[in-house]
Amino acid sequence: MPAPLHPLTSLTAACCTAAVTTAAGSWPLSVAVSAAAAVLAVRAGAGRRVLTAAAAVLLPLGLSLLMLHGLFFPEGRTVLAAWGPARVTAEGLAFALEAGTRTGACVLVLLLFSFTVSAPDLVAALNVRGLPPQFSFVLASALTLLPAVAGRLGAIRTAQESRGLVLGGGALARLAAVRVQMVPLVLGLLEESGHRAQALEARGFGRPGPRTSYREVPDPPAQRRLRAVLLVLAAAAVALRLGASWPAAGLL
Amino acid sequence: MSQQPLTLPATGPGDGSAAGRPAGTTTAQRNRRLLELAGAAAIAATYLFLVLTQPADIANGPASAAALVALGGFLLGAILLVAAALPVLPTSTLVLMPVALVLNVVLGQLMGTTGLPFYLDAIGTVLIAVLAGPAAGAATGALSTIVWSFFNPTVLPFAAGAALIGFLAGLAARSGLFRRFYLAPVAGFVTGILAGVVSAPIAAFVFGGTAGLGTGAVVSAFRAMGDTLLAAITKQALISDPMDKAIVFAIAALLVYALPRRTTFQFAFVRRFRVLAGKTPAVTPDA
Repeated sequence: MPAPLHPLTSLTAACCTAAVTTAAGSWPLSVAVSAAAAVLAVRAGAGRRVLTAAAAVLLPLGLSLLMLHGLFFPEGRTVLAAWGPARVTAEGLAFALEAGTRTGACVLVLLLFSFTVSAPDLVAALNVRGLPPQFSFVLASALTLLPAVAGRLGAIRTAQESRGLVLGGGALARLAAVRVQMVPLVLGLLEESGHRAQALEARGFGRPGPRTSYREVPDPPAQRRLRAVLLVLAAAAVALRLGASWPAAGLL
Repeated sequence: MSQQPLTLPATGPGDGSAAGRPAGTTTAQRNRRLLELAGAAAIAATYLFLVLTQPADIANGPASAAALVALGGFLLGAILLVAAALPVLPTSTLVLMPVALVLNVVLGQLMGTTGLPFYLDAIGTVLIAVLAGPAAGAATGALSTIVWSFFNPTVLPFAAGAALIGFLAGLAARSGLFRRFYLAPVAGFVTGILAGVVSAPIAAFVFGGTAGLGTGAVVSAFRAMGDTLLAAITKQALISDPMDKAIVFAIAALLVYALPRRTTFQFAFVRRFRVLAGKTPAVTPDA
């Protein structure tokens, strides 16, 4: 097994791949990038989670694009079929394919990053780079809070049901059910955050000055060079695309 | 992001809203103000650029260059806004941000169980903006979008719009629109108009459409009438977003009213600008 990827390396790789794919704007490349991301996710053991999350995002988007551009594309010239105002055009289908695969590639690549990166390592690496500690706190805290809150919502629902809450019924009943679940949840979270603020403040969280990190993430020189190369490549791709689109605007 | 916070956030009860106080302008404060202005300018310039130079001919496929400009400009603006606001927020506000993100996601899903056709994914942001002010609201909106993108990368380009929602919600709270329940949805409606208009170019140029089937159907209707993609999506946003934000503001107002006074009056912003109706409790904590 080679040296593990530094979190910033995988972040740079994901962002640069997304930028290059967007700049290239060609669906075969997008499909190839998506497939590569899916294979990497499966090999990293996160295939099921990445693909589930991607499907939850991409299926509605894809269907929406297909309906929107497949049926209504006034700019289209090659009409394949027409029912009243709806016209299936080749240009519209191509547009939907292009836009859908481009978004799909970016989503898969970024999900591959976020589901394989170790959040504590990422936070430590970002802090070394001079990012404000507040940002790291929000990121790490939100990532740990999210699963905990889902569990707590279940507990609140059980408690309210044992007090006679009946889920279901008409819209008003359901809204009332949401209310008796929401208020305890929000109240508890706000109360807890007050305690957390006091604890953090007592440990000097709000003070300026240098921080010491207990966690050291090794950053091999080879990966630093790789990051630089990736950034240059992505910048070049973006510059080429912008220059090709607006040659007169003097962007290059 | 070499911006080091040189000053402590002004301690004392009045530090809930760092923005909008001219007193005691130091270099660090001026730099922060410059960052804020640069962020707002980046967002405004990106929007104007996209609307003015929108690719007229989309028959050759989605415009990659416009997508790159939209992504780059709006993300840069959101990051600048976060960089300006984050280092000076008091710890009590900062610990609310993860809570806001979680509320955005969980309450959004919970409202989804009622079968209402809205997104309702900004409840937490608005709640924090009402309790802690416009700067906190903007930072919460942008940051929670960035964290959310770990699970759903498609929300990332909308960070600037989320920051705008948080900022406007904070302004509405400061000017007392949350003191009466019927005024909150009005403020939400206006916020929704602005947020929808700002977010439409992202949907049009980055994604080439909208993420949901319901919104997609509305866009289809406008496209069938011969609108350009950007015009159709802007009109769709003007239909859904004001309604959505009016509901979000109303829910946030109901939640704030349901919270005990002891909790809400812990926030300096709430005390200072008399955000909620009623008298301040006699005992103000940590004076």
